[in-house]
Amino acid sequence: MKSAWTWALLAPPLAVALIFFVGPLVYLFYVSVHAASPSELYGDALTLQNYSSILGDSFYLRIIQRTLGTAAVILGLCLIIGYPVAYFVALLPSRRRMVVLLLLLFPLMVSNVVRAYGWVAILGRRGVINTGLRDLGLIDVPLDLLYSTEAVVVGLMTILLPYMVISIANTLSGLDPRYEEAAQSLGAGPIRTFVHVTLPLSTPGVASGMLLVFLLTLSAYVTITLLGGPRSKLLVSMIYDSVVSFQWPRAAALAFILLAIALALTGIIMAVLRPARVQGTGR
Amino acid sequence: MKLALSPGRALRGSATGLAFLLILAPIGVVVVAAFSPTDYFEFPPPGLSLRWFVEFFRLDNMRNAFVLSLELALLSATVATVLGTLGALFLARRHGVIAGLMQSLFLAPLVFPTIILGLALLLLYKTVGMPVFPGLLLAHCVIGMPYCFRTVLASVQALDPSLEEAGQSLGAGPARTLFLITLPLIWHGVLSGWLFAFVVSFGELNTALFLSGPGLTTLPIEIFSYLQFQGSQLVIAAASTLQIALIIVMVAGIERVVGLGRIIRSR
Repeated sequence: MKSAWTWALLAPPLAVALIFFVGPLVYLFYVSVHAASPSELYGDALTLQNYSSILGDSFYLRIIQRTLGTAAVILGLCLIIGYPVAYFVALLPSRRRMVVLLLLLFPLMVSNVVRAYGWVAILGRRGVINTGLRDLGLIDVPLDLLYSTEAVVVGLMTILLPYMVISIANTLSGLDPRYEEAAQSLGAGPIRTFVHVTLPLSTPGVASGMLLVFLLTLSAYVTITLLGGPRSKLLVSMIYDSVVSFQWPRAAALAFILLAIALALTGIIMAVLRPARVQGTGR
Repeated sequence: MKLALSPGRALRGSATGLAFLLILAPIGVVVVAAFSPTDYFEFPPPGLSLRWFVEFFRLDNMRNAFVLSLELALLSATVATVLGTLGALFLARRHGVIAGLMQSLFLAPLVFPTIILGLALLLLYKTVGMPVFPGLLLAHCVIGMPYCFRTVLASVQALDPSLEEAGQSLGAGPARTLFLITLPLIWHGVLSGWLFAFVVSFGELNTALFLSGPGLTTLPIEIFSYLQFQGSQLVIAAASTLQIALIIVMVAGIERVVGLGRIIRSR
């Protein structure tokens, strides 16, 4: 009797997750291994040609390369800026830390299209930077700051930076200060203490921050389009372009290539940082 | 933690200042631009005016997109909260492989590239002939559910199980125990889960990009297509500012009801 009641709790969320999350993905994979059709979503013939034609095309390989390069730069910058910020936040007294974390959380709640528009307003030809430089008499012709890979990097990096800071700060503020005190009383200076004690203990936060930033970079179509324009397209733009030209099997295959990249990089990040060796030993 | 050298502290302080400038400046510029009296973006604006907000509510497509986004956020957050709460109540006290798998399944949309989910749902909807509104609603539910699941799960796990056992040993059935004991004790988690689902739905881009239909466009997608095809008209700044204002109101409201710490911990 009791078990029937509790299983009834599970049925609705499980049904929604299976029908509208797992199911569509299985169907998407099914479409990706079928030939294109001029009238239907996909043709009858079973084929791997969608994958092989993408992976054999130097145009797509360049896009994949650019996607990985852009993501790597964004990740690196987020880590270099985010770690000291997280350290600063973690050392604040608890009430002030809450306020600062809320200030970091609030931008994440604002839609990315609004935040990308903010960057358009700053970097555009009539934007804040160009007007400022012109008023100072430094330039006559507005600079082309928008529609470049650099604009995408700056925009996405700042949009995703709070994820990195919050992840690392949460781990750092949960660290037992006695670890650092022990290292110091054994004669380690502040730098050695940081490199050998604090940094390794903070890997769970670093890993989850890196994963969030990387995965969100891969699917940030709107930000990439608004700041990168037509010349700085990434893999996700190719998925969208295939959809608007009704190339469904190709779009599906591109989606699974994107997913494979996401999984591979997740595996690499976990293997290199090995956050699991820290978890459960923090207390 | 007194080991901070002062050059280290200066470095961290300036990194923090730079980070906050980079994160908040774009939002600040949008809000300032929304109150411009001029036809085109000028910074700093020569005065203040509400004309772009008036223009926003005068434009049918903007107003409709705003209303659609509000309806979607309210409905999808509510459905997602019910579903997430049910899943969390079931899994909170279970361990083992199957429970672990189900927990991963419920949390997966949190990190899953949403553009792929949007494409997958688009193909499914095209095949079964799903109308636009329920299609968007279900997509937003799938994306909002993990947030509710996670916050409620944390609340139930923090609950002392002897309270529920006491209720049952005093003769309350499972439904009475749920409504009279468990829910009143976890409603903070339920409410902050609802807030997250609402906010996520209200700003959602990647699935709505594919699933919006003619005449049924969400506000973020309407802003996006304006920016892409009609340039940066300042009515976009007004639309964005309304988005930001609504989120501030939601966060402030929840802060009063649930408290600041809980919002941050639930992230």
